[in-house]
Amino acid sequence: MSKMTITANGAELYLERTFAAPRDKVWAAFTDCEHLKHWWGPHGWDLTHCTMDFREGGRWHYCMSGKDENGETLDSWGLQTFDSISAPERFSGTDVFADKDGNAAPGMPVAQLAMEFVEVEGGTKIIGRTTYSTAEELKAIMEMGVEQGITETWDRLEALLAK
Amino acid sequence: MTAATDTLSLTFAALADPTRRAILERLTRGAATVNELAAPFAMSQPAISKHLKVLEKAGLITRGRQAQARPAELNAQQLELVTRWLEKTRTHWEESFDKLDSYLATLQDTPPDPQTPTPPRRKK
Repeated sequence: MSKMTITANGAELYLERTFAAPRDKVWAAFTDCEHLKHWWGPHGWDLTHCTMDFREGGRWHYCMSGKDENGETLDSWGLQTFDSISAPERFSGTDVFADKDGNAAPGMPVAQLAMEFVEVEGGTKIIGRTTYSTAEELKAIMEMGVEQGITETWDRLEALLAK
Repeated sequence: MTAATDTLSLTFAALADPTRRAILERLTRGAATVNELAAPFAMSQPAISKHLKVLEKAGLITRGRQAQARPAELNAQQLELVTRWLEKTRTHWEESFDKLDSYLATLQDTPPDPQTPTPPRRKK
């Protein structure tokens, strides 16, 4: 099984993974609630709300329900907007935390999202680029001098962005 | 939005300024007063105080209670929060993609495309 590559490149988080499936299937998996509900979200989280309007200028409003570290049930609402779509090759837009009424959460970092679907031998390679307005700042933070006590956080942050 | 994510947005905003990052860097070497911070940055004390207020509101530093000096100190926990948030993003994609992989495999099990005929067997 092909594992995911994730690297930080300036302000950009780059991820890449190859799936053993034809491109139209992978594309559909990203753009249709009937498919998304089978896989979107980390382990233990279910897609409990999904309203997809997949067209340029359209949006996807979703909710993931799961449990937090303390075992409390938690609903996590998100909103994606689609700025440009070129089926079945790529789409781009934004991804942001939202509330259940579909309002983007004010003040939260907005991720610019660009997904690319490339036909490769034996399947489809997904290339995802997520740009955070703040990733550069985070990198600058990592480069600061490190003292005991915060070393661990630094290391984890660095490992996170370097992987 | 939970209280944690609200604070997170304040933290990101606070980290976006290079002077404030420089102040944080100085504080990794120990607590410092406004006076001590103002000198190397060639900034007025009120300007430094303003930055410290932003950092304090974001939870990135704490201020001492000594009447005048009120030395500023780094709060590593808040940086931890930023790290956790990034980790969450990573986990989201990693685990979602694992699920997608399995899901796509189940789709593959549906009857194969009859377009590719099996090659005719050759007699020896």
